[in-house]
Formats: sequence, structure tokens, C-alpha cells
Amino acid sequence: MIAAQGGDAPAYRRLLAELGTWLRSYYAKRLPAAMVDDVAQEVLLTVHAKRHTYDPSKPFGPWIAAIARYRWIDRLRAMKDGLTDELEEEMAAPDTGEAAHSAYTLDALLSRLKPAQANAIRLVKIEGMSVKEAAERLGQTIALVKVNIHRGLRRLSELVQAEGHEF
Amino acid sequence: MSFETLIDQLTDDLAPVRPRRLWIDVGIMALIAVIELALLFVIGFANLDMHRIETQPTVGWRLASLGLISLVSGFAAIRSFDPTYSAKGSIRWLAAIIATCVVGGLFLGSFPGGVSALLARLEWTNGIGCASHIALLSTPPLVGLVLLGRRGAPTDMRRTRLLVGLAAAAWGAFSFVFSCPFNDPLFIVTWYGLGCTATVLIARYVLPRLARW
Repeated sequence: MIAAQGGDAPAYRRLLAELGTWLRSYYAKRLPAAMVDDVAQEVLLTVHAKRHTYDPSKPFGPWIAAIARYRWIDRLRAMKDGLTDELEEEMAAPDTGEAAHSAYTLDALLSRLKPAQANAIRLVKIEGMSVKEAAERLGQTIALVKVNIHRGLRRLSELVQAEGHEF
Repeated sequence: MSFETLIDQLTDDLAPVRPRRLWIDVGIMALIAVIELALLFVIGFANLDMHRIETQPTVGWRLASLGLISLVSGFAAIRSFDPTYSAKGSIRWLAAIIATCVVGGLFLGSFPGGVSALLARLEWTNGIGCASHIALLSTPPLVGLVLLGRRGAPTDMRRTRLLVGLAAAAWGAFSFVFSCPFNDPLFIVTWYGLGCTATVLIARYVLPRLARW
């Protein structure tokens, strides 16, 4: 990174390629598979735009981890704001080891929410039900399900931000 | 777009950059603050009345408290533009400093009984003037910090905007002390507090919109 700050293009290319691999693995554990490449590329763009904020006297790892985490939280917020968006088929996680790990982590986070919030998020955001279907399943009004998802995702975002989850 | 294409584009766009230096940002903010204060003296809005400083005990308290708060919060705000910086500790310290300053100031005044007596001391018209002056004087440091925030990469926007608001507000209030004729701690805590709160709220609204990255 220090070489890249000085304008060394080959070093920068190597750095971005290695970061791309690391970021895909990082987000594979934290986001639905369909979003992984998109967010990883966003982070590469951010690294490019904010490369002057890296302090060469400090280690590179915490800097890139902070940026990756910030983009992840950003994406969680965007998911919260897009409650009424149609869910894509790819939202379902592929049956791989990483997905299992991701599901375990997500479960751990969801278990810290109120049951009504966690259930609403599970049904709509993970299992892909419509808000109406989830409302019927949970015996709640549509508005209440939306509120629970909204508050639950906000709480999740706060938990992640407050505790700096690394899993 | 594939990763390879993106990496090619970013590499082609690569230009040398100068790493962000904390002390340069601190210097820029100090310069903005000093210029603002100097201008206030030049236009006659502020004056250094030594007699008033000697006879009014709250002047020293105000200058020391607000100076300390603006220094600590300003430094922490600038540090929080670094993506790896956690401002939690700074905010705890600031809360303790603010509480100590407020309580210390209230000891300088007396509090005669009766709500109506206390309300009369608030002097609403003058107080609103004070609060609005403080909010106005907070603008230059607020703009400076927002611009520095845009250049940086704050990752904890909630705390950063609080620190930015506090720093700008405290400096606005500090500058205002040189032209404020009021000496009642209750008046000062109430209206200075309101002016500072307004600035913090403005920062809360403005910073995420302008410094989001």
C-alpha cells in the first residue's frame, strides 16, 4: 500500500488482486452470495478513493478491515431501507461450508434480538417470504412485521458496529 | 464488471497521493479558529476587557471550560476521520469534562428559592440572542471539520458527528465569551447549552450527508 501511495502501479495491481480475494472471502461469511462480488468491488473502489487515509506508519490490516466493515454495515443499512424490495432467488445462501458458518453467525446475532424481530427477519430476509406471508405466519399485521424487521435490522447494525464482530 | 477489469481501471487511474497527516488537519483547524477569533476582535464584536475578566468570575470559568472542551473534542473529531480510530474513549472523557465544567460553573452562582426567580434570571430575549450567536459563530469550525471529514474516512459516523458538533459548538461559545456581557451561571449554562445543542444537531444532520463515503 505504501508503494501504491507513491504511484507504483504493479504493486497496486498486486495489492488489489489480493484484496479482491480476501474481500470475497470476508463477505461470503457475512452477506448473501449474490451481494458478495458487488460489495467487494465497492470496497476496491473505496480503497482507491481513500488510499491517502492509510497511515504508512501503522499496519495495513486494521485499515482495510475497518473499511470492509464499514461497507458491510452500509450494506446492512441498505437492506434495512429496502424492506419492500422483491427478494432475489440468490438471497438463499448456497449449501457450502462458508454458508453454514455464515448462517451460524447470523443465528448468533439474531438470538440477541427480540423474538418477534428475529422471526420477522428470518422469514422475510432469510427465507424469502413476502411481508404479507410472514404476517400471516406470525399472526401479526403487515405494518407490525415491517416495524419488527426495521427495528431488528437497525439493532443488528448497532450490534455489529458496537462490538466489531469478527467471525 | 469483472474484478480484472476493475483492477485494470483502478491501476490505470493510479496517481501518487500524500498520506493524510493528523497534525496538518489539526493545524488547519487551529488556523480557522484563530482567524475567526481575530476577525471578531478586528470588527469589534469581541473585546478583551481585563476589568470584566477580573470582576466576573464566570469569564475565567467559561474560557477555561469551553477552551478545554473545544480542544479535546476537536482533536478527537479530527482523529475520528481515520477509519481505524475508535472514539468511544474520547466521548467518555468529554462527557466527564463537560459534566465537571457545568457543575463547577453552577457553584459560582447562587440559587435563590422559587421557580419564578429562576425563570426571571433566564432573560429569555437575551438568552435566545446568545444561543443564536453561538450557533452562528460555530459555523466556520463546523465547515472546516466537515471538509476535513470529507477528505478523511470516518467509519463511526454517529460518534464522529457528535465530536464534530461539540468541537464547533464549544469553539463558537468560546469566541462568544469575549462579547457576552452576562455573568449568571444559570443563564450561561442554559443558553450556552442551547446554542451548543443547536450546533450539535446541525452537525448531526449535515455531516452524514456531506461526509458520507
